[in-house]
Amino acid sequence: MAISKEAYKALEAIVGKEYISSNPAVCEGYRAGPGGYESGLGYERVMTKIPGCVIMPRTTEEVQKIVKVCNRYKVPYVPYSTGWYGPRSHCHVDNELLVDLKRMDDFEIDDKHLYATVGPGVIYSQLQEEAMSRGMYIIVGGGGSQCSAIANMIGDGWSPLSYRIGLPHRRILGTELVLPDGELVLMGSLATEEDSFWGEGPGPDLRGLLRGFTGLRGCLGIVTKMAIKLLPFQPEKLVPTGISPFTALELPVKRVKWINFTMPSKDAMRQAMFEMAKAEIGGGVTKVPIFWRAIAKASCKEDFWDIWSQESEETISGFHLLRVLLIAFTCEEQMEYEEKILNEIITELGGEARRTRPSDESWFKNADSAGMWLMCGGYVSVDYVIETIEHAIPHGENYAALKKKGYTPPLMPDYGDPGWFQSFELGHQGYSEFLVYWDPDVNTDGVDHFYLETSKENIRKRFYTSLLGPHQPLYLTGPAYGPNYHIWLLKVKDEFDPQFLCHPPVPLAHDEFVEKAEWMRPMKDWESPKNLHS
Amino acid sequence: MLKGKLKLDVTNLDNFEYDMSKCIKCKGCTWVDHIYMPGVTFSTRCPSATRYLFDSYGAYGKMRIGTAMLEGRMEYSDELLKILYACTLCGACDVGCKRNLDLEIELTLEALRIKAVKDGKGPMPQHKKVALKIAEKHNRLGSPHANRNKWLPSDVKPAEKADVLYFVGCSAAYTSPEIAQATAKILKASGTPFMLMPDEWCCGNILYSVGMVDEARELAKRNIEEVRKTGAKTLLLSCAEGYRMWKVDYPKLLNISTDELGFNVVHLVEFVDELIKKGSLKLKKKVDLRLTYHDSCSLTRLSEPWTPWEGERGEWGMVNPRLERRRGTNGVYQQPRDILQAIPGVELVEMIRMKENAFCCGAGRGTREAFPDFASWAAKERLQEVKTIGAKAIVSTCPFCKDNFAQAASKDGEKVKVLDISEIILAAI
Repeated sequence: MAISKEAYKALEAIVGKEYISSNPAVCEGYRAGPGGYESGLGYERVMTKIPGCVIMPRTTEEVQKIVKVCNRYKVPYVPYSTGWYGPRSHCHVDNELLVDLKRMDDFEIDDKHLYATVGPGVIYSQLQEEAMSRGMYIIVGGGGSQCSAIANMIGDGWSPLSYRIGLPHRRILGTELVLPDGELVLMGSLATEEDSFWGEGPGPDLRGLLRGFTGLRGCLGIVTKMAIKLLPFQPEKLVPTGISPFTALELPVKRVKWINFTMPSKDAMRQAMFEMAKAEIGGGVTKVPIFWRAIAKASCKEDFWDIWSQESEETISGFHLLRVLLIAFTCEEQMEYEEKILNEIITELGGEARRTRPSDESWFKNADSAGMWLMCGGYVSVDYVIETIEHAIPHGENYAALKKKGYTPPLMPDYGDPGWFQSFELGHQGYSEFLVYWDPDVNTDGVDHFYLETSKENIRKRFYTSLLGPHQPLYLTGPAYGPNYHIWLLKVKDEFDPQFLCHPPVPLAHDEFVEKAEWMRPMKDWESPKNLHS
Repeated sequence: MLKGKLKLDVTNLDNFEYDMSKCIKCKGCTWVDHIYMPGVTFSTRCPSATRYLFDSYGAYGKMRIGTAMLEGRMEYSDELLKILYACTLCGACDVGCKRNLDLEIELTLEALRIKAVKDGKGPMPQHKKVALKIAEKHNRLGSPHANRNKWLPSDVKPAEKADVLYFVGCSAAYTSPEIAQATAKILKASGTPFMLMPDEWCCGNILYSVGMVDEARELAKRNIEEVRKTGAKTLLLSCAEGYRMWKVDYPKLLNISTDELGFNVVHLVEFVDELIKKGSLKLKKKVDLRLTYHDSCSLTRLSEPWTPWEGERGEWGMVNPRLERRRGTNGVYQQPRDILQAIPGVELVEMIRMKENAFCCGAGRGTREAFPDFASWAAKERLQEVKTIGAKAIVSTCPFCKDNFAQAASKDGEKVKVLDISEIILAAI
């Protein structure tokens, strides 16, 4: 038995025999493993372990009891809702308890006040279907429809549909959080009554504890329940069609429509985003990585490479594809109006509409992130930043240049494509995401280097980044973005988790990785304490 | 192996190292295709992961366990055997994975069981008993071989020689004779002469499914040879499990393609659908029933023909020569629906999880023999769905499904009628 007999017995008494196991075969199933988001890289090999024990609570009360037992017996633990988020959501230390939350799948919906209350076991596509069947919708985050809605809301939670709805932290309403010592915190209106309809206060808005900007990856407790704001949708049904793998939602085109435009330049794309925002039209506007088109056309991995290998820097640099989503929320006339305005904007900027399928495979319900592994087997988004459109475009260009300079290979060639950028909150914010792909079955040290180098590039070029502590060395990013960000973050961690039991060594995991992985050490040119955890 | 030469050969787990190591834990194998996601209920399609909950029971866990087995990091234990065998091998995980990733999950799961047998640890004790019965009595139930054709109704006389050979299978021959009888009568009504095998033996479905490939291969050789000797052009089955075994697993075991069998393998529903569409069979009699149709896994997502493949894996994990992946897209989905809709009075109500997203009945691939409680639980889950949509009857195309549903329904005093499609067709003739 990997954790002490006393601790195991105490934990078993909480959930019953059926829902706890330290059997090696059961624990092996919870290995991060060489596949998946960021997996197969050095971080996965150096930093992850299989759990010493797995437990599956059903209620918040059980989670509290589990956490208290962990504190009593000094058992490190990590919350785990679906296990999707690669190695960073898995065990990092020996004899760790993995708290699998999939049984906590309670679901309630208040269609009068437009919110749903979910447990961590509820995933996005479930929530979206429940919402849509009642005339509402949510954003299925780019992480995918298979994500736990709670986990994604406290980490990422955006997609092209963020153009109208905005960022996730404002859609987090009443929430239950079990702190690292087992104490229960009720946030928003839940603090004063049994109603989750409101997210703020009383007192300071504690939602910052949950996610800061892009989340702390489970190192500050376990969210056991969250109310999520839903928004009114148009009334027509998006109809599922096809047999796997050719499934899609057929769109009611008088109400919902994607239109692809070829634009003459990147500047014209940027301008179109601004003009659409000024006219307050559209349900989404995005410039996606160009190789996604090849994925959409390909029938298999080999087919993808046949298509993608035809491209070159020349073809890519002259190809500017803008994808626009129109949603007639109010009436069919809204579609007519918005399409007319949009066409005027695009025509003025020299763009042209392309034939676009009247279906959605990606963003409403499916969020096909799983398809990102088809081409190479290895994938991670090395950065995603929410700032301005003016920031987003050069951010991607810089990354593309850096990637080309010394990192392709091992990274997949993308012929200088600057990744993904889009407009959020009707143009008030801009989003940049840079995705990289590699063959995990060759030496991947270069990918590890690139990941860290992007962080340094952000600091050098004064770009903002969302991937601070939990994804990059805290002692590198903290002073640069702080100057005391790292000190502040560690003080918060110390205050709430004085025994450092909740998902150790996050938020210092990447610092530890750089220390432990010999191929990373030459890159270390920043100061950090000899004992990281002192 | 991760790169280099490989073969779609389930007798060597090495062939699937790439597939096991590239699982990303999206759990597309467990959830219903997100496009079809019905909400918070009936949202999974993997019985094993839904029942046992721990990740190890989902394909994502098994892929990690498989990697550990390959690397010699995993000792056999009762729990490990349960993880490998308390699984219906229903193919839901395979089509789910091939929605996005094209990993060979089903073949890997089969290869894991074969390895367990080779290592002297598998199959489960109950499977060994079944194997003994097959060896001694040529049927999986241990019934007297002499009674194999006892199901034959007095008013149906098979031909000595015909283009169509009806392979009855152990279930319809011994425990669900109504299916065999209905099938024979449908053939008679359509004016289709048919013959039986001179000496029909078990198809070996369970043997193959639990990893006993040597025994299964011997049966495959013998059975194929027997059919070839009869000169039949079409081998007709009314059992989905048997259909898959003949059409997919026999060729797989013998490293030949389905086409090379030398005869066509068809299920009754394919045959009847064609007869109806040609006008050779009319379904005129009214059958007043609000019913639902259960897609049997082996007729649908597992039924695409087999083609041997051997080649190399290289850069980015690409394979050469090009591999036509079996993704379950071309399974037999529409024909049974068309048949049911052609019957006057029948109101076909679709299940919430249908076609490639269907939830397995829980009986097949050796599950019911070794884990009867699990099989019963899976059937009850499905019957719950039947009740939710307000159907009065559930119709399937496999005696394994029918039997499992019927037992679960009777245990719980459910009023849902459980029927095989052959019975409904016959009632409409």
